Amino acid sequence: MFCVIAFIVLSILGIFSASNRQLAREALDCVLRRVTLRPCTTGFDEKMKAKILGYVITRSEAGARFLNKYFEPLSWVFFFLLVGSTFFAVRGFYLYYTTGSCNGLNQTGFCVFDPTGQNTQFSTVDESCPVTPGGSATVTLEGVDISGFPKISGANTEPIVFIGSYGCDYSRKAYPMLRRLVQKYGAELVFLYYPVKEHSDYLAKIGYCAYQQDQPKFWNLTDRLFTVEKAHLEDEAFIMNLLNEVGLNAQSVQFCAKSPQTEWVVKQQLAEVRKTNFYGTPTVFIRGKAFVGPKPYRVYAIALEGLLYWWK
Amino acid sequence: MDWAKVRADFPSLHSQNGRKAVIYFDNACQTLRPRQVIEAVIRYYQEFPACSGRSMHRMAAEVTREVDQAREKVAKFLNAGRKEEIIFTRNTTEGVNLLAASINWKPGDVILVTDKEHNSNLIPWQMVARRRGVILRVIRTRNDNTFNWDAFEQAFRDGPVKLVAMGYTSNLDGVTLPAADIIKHAHRQGALVFLDAAQTVPHQRVNVRALDVDFLAFSGHKMLGPSGTGVLYGKYRLLEQLEPFLVGGDTVSTSTFDSCQFLPPPEKFEAGLQDYAGIMGLAAAVQYLSQIGFDAIEKQERTLNEYLTNMLSEIPGLKIIGPADPRLRGGIISFYIEGIDHHRIALMLDQMANIAVRSGQHCVHSWFNSRGVAGSVRASVYFYNTLEEAQQFVDALNKIRKVL
Repeated sequence: MFCVIAFIVLSILGIFSASNRQLAREALDCVLRRVTLRPCTTGFDEKMKAKILGYVITRSEAGARFLNKYFEPLSWVFFFLLVGSTFFAVRGFYLYYTTGSCNGLNQTGFCVFDPTGQNTQFSTVDESCPVTPGGSATVTLEGVDISGFPKISGANTEPIVFIGSYGCDYSRKAYPMLRRLVQKYGAELVFLYYPVKEHSDYLAKIGYCAYQQDQPKFWNLTDRLFTVEKAHLEDEAFIMNLLNEVGLNAQSVQFCAKSPQTEWVVKQQLAEVRKTNFYGTPTVFIRGKAFVGPKPYRVYAIALEGLLYWWK
Repeated sequence: MDWAKVRADFPSLHSQNGRKAVIYFDNACQTLRPRQVIEAVIRYYQEFPACSGRSMHRMAAEVTREVDQAREKVAKFLNAGRKEEIIFTRNTTEGVNLLAASINWKPGDVILVTDKEHNSNLIPWQMVARRRGVILRVIRTRNDNTFNWDAFEQAFRDGPVKLVAMGYTSNLDGVTLPAADIIKHAHRQGALVFLDAAQTVPHQRVNVRALDVDFLAFSGHKMLGPSGTGVLYGKYRLLEQLEPFLVGGDTVSTSTFDSCQFLPPPEKFEAGLQDYAGIMGLAAAVQYLSQIGFDAIEKQERTLNEYLTNMLSEIPGLKIIGPADPRLRGGIISFYIEGIDHHRIALMLDQMANIAVRSGQHCVHSWFNSRGVAGSVRASVYFYNTLEEAQQFVDALNKIRKVL
């Protein structure tokens, strides 16, 4: 059993050192002999056991005696530990690859591949906002009417739904990736603007009116709002200029934004967004799964197109 | 003898790269080299890296002179009659092969060996037996591994013997044969005698003329010399009768398209460009050993082996191969512990205390196979080893015995 453990460990060490590579080869030969029910004739297990005992004996004679006596059972224990840890390591890597976190979708525990937790950060909504932070399991699109929100039509039957805020750094990180998905796979994208900071409330009305006025130009405006300096988002004059720059009628948009009807519609839309139980931005729904926080591009692509997304 | 001063000559005896200093007890395999030998090798490459005995320029003349002096030193070291009796080889094995291939064998000729020959002094004779119809007879040693006179004399009574080819000192247990008596008896019976002296020449004075031995081979690497060097000694008149083994460059005085004129010994046996640096290193080793003196060397080895034998005898289950008296085993103590793999002991000694020993069958497989012994650990000391090192070896072995 020792050969199996040694082979796995030495194979990994062999990536970095030639001497370990040679030992790994010897271990492999030993493993192949064992699995074909032949004795290990290379002396590899004997050699390694002697080396380990030689090391331990200089520190503790009792330890060496114990190790010598129970070498085989201990090898089994380490084998099972190795199998267990390998399983969890592979699972962790798979989860990281497909969800951006080793611990699973939207889990914030430590992940060795993402030690700073970049993929699970999000902007919480202000305390004044009635959204109650909760677990990602309760975040859902069920019973939420998204028909009135801005969308880019696409081929997929189930649209990508993006809850984001222009002033949220993490939404700013996620947005270009979603645009890339739209461009590459022709996906349908629905944008649910939610102002996580109170001072950007008015942008919800501006956005609504811009979309009503001209849909393509609305998306140009959105592209710009996700990339301009955040300080400018509080500057109404700057926003008016921006509307003009993207070819919208700023005065008309401003007039629309101030109308009581717009206020009522936007209020209804925000209430609809809150029904998702989301607790931070960005939140992205793809094929029924809610991704909270900016994930790597591949995570969104896998959710949309499957593991072989890069093939398509 | 100031052994501390002697030890200072050996760079590899001292700790290097932060590693604990080695306790080198694998001297029967090969010894360490003193600074003087290393410098002699370097001197060739730095000062006159040219051909010997061919070119006429000054560098070549210098090499020719150095090689000639080396041959003279080795001849003097062995007390050979003339320097032309010294043939430089790569090692003892090559010396044995040279002899085996060069003797004019006739079918039915008999070669006598003992049952504890190193493969180097067994396989070449086996091949001769297979190819030339020669008979290889093996004399079984006594139970304590000492020479069996009765069996030896009986072998001659069984029929004429062409060659007695024996290991002068066994690399298995360090037992030295009563060579002078063996040679005397063999000569009386008309047999030639070859001695594999690889384990003898480094440890005791060998006087080939006093022994009256016909052929004798040894290696440089077991006597402080560079690896890849060795010597075959042969009585000149016998060397003249031998056919050359390897032939080619520098073995002939002239050649035509269908014939050649071989040079006299030793040139006719030294084909191709020789290892001049090694030969110079070997001469330096001979000089170094001569300066130390074999009385001092033998005394130090005996002291160490007596100490080791006494201490190891107290370890339960430990069996020493060969006679119980350490004075009969030179610098070698070969042992095994019932129920413990010999390789495991050697590896643990290396790992825990940086003690280098040999484990296995030491190229004497035939003896181990015939006696049903799996293998042994062999500690072989040399004059630069100390009692402190021997004590550390014993301590480590005791620890291992307690644990395994």
